[in-house]
Amino acid sequence: MPANALPDALTATPLFAVGLTFTAYLLGNLVFKKLKQPTWLPAILIAALLLAAILAIIGLPYAAYRQDASWLTVLLGPATVALGMPLYQQMPHIRALWRPLTICLPIAASLAACYALAIAWLMGSSPQILASLAAKSVTAPIAIGITEQIGGSVALLLGALLVTGVATAAFVGLAARLLKIDDDRIIGFALGLNGHAIGTVRAFEISPAAGAFASLGMSLTGIFTALILPLAWRLIGVGG
Amino acid sequence: MPALNGFLWLISYWLIGEVMVHFTGLPVSSGVIGMLLLTATLAVWGRVPSTIAAAAQPLIGLLAMLIMPGVVGVFFILDELAGQWLAILCALIIGTLLSVITTLWLLKRLMGKTHAR
Repeated sequence: MPANALPDALTATPLFAVGLTFTAYLLGNLVFKKLKQPTWLPAILIAALLLAAILAIIGLPYAAYRQDASWLTVLLGPATVALGMPLYQQMPHIRALWRPLTICLPIAASLAACYALAIAWLMGSSPQILASLAAKSVTAPIAIGITEQIGGSVALLLGALLVTGVATAAFVGLAARLLKIDDDRIIGFALGLNGHAIGTVRAFEISPAAGAFASLGMSLTGIFTALILPLAWRLIGVGG
Repeated sequence: MPALNGFLWLISYWLIGEVMVHFTGLPVSSGVIGMLLLTATLAVWGRVPSTIAAAAQPLIGLLAMLIMPGVVGVFFILDELAGQWLAILCALIIGTLLSVITTLWLLKRLMGKTHAR
């Protein structure tokens, strides 16, 4: 019996990759709780590190894993549609504050992308890297769609999302103190707009009002960026 | 099976989004179009049917797991991006700091006016 018969048998169906993902996800959450939920180390990063380590140890190529795991990732489509439900539930907030939000959102959401793009461009990053960083403040399911549209690397984008989310959670408290802001609605909105899901989780730790506004900021930034960025990218003709 | 019924709604909206992207050539993902259509439908109904909530709630709860296979990919492109990391990290960290400050400052000024009436 050849040495590689067992791995081949295990990976004959996608169930191995799916089970592996569940395991890493649940273990990641467990470790996260044991470490008292550190802001700088989100559960998803722990889980991803575990998963990468397991793949490296058992010698399963990433491409093969990813292919089998598409049984899970195909659900991202309906899951993105599902985000319409919390968005609908945010409607009263949108109606109450529509004027400041309508002015703030386009400016802040554009700048969230533009600051990073300008710095990367000045430091000589390639068009493909720029395309991977552009959606850095958008919630993952929407950002993946945007990045595929404009031709970036989804793997790099997801790494960028992690860094951005963690940085946002760390900076918002600091900046709010500096600007003497103690309105939870403003702090929450800034967390969701810049830090997508990771920022929103942080906001719910502050207060339910901050959490609600973070969800709102996250949804609106996602929609605005999804509608504007691919079009702007095409008009400017970045990358080609 | 209320969750299955709701899940069919979500899939249908995604497929409608796909059809719209196909025919209009809009540079927007089908998921985003489906999401906007769902929001509009709920706004017309004025409530969230329990079937849709039963499917949407667990899916949203599992989002982090659904993106994990992609997140892991970043560890396998580390070599490809050698020499680019300083620019990428500077862009992400300094860019995020600047945009956090801008958002807070802007919204403080705008909401301040609303409060004053």
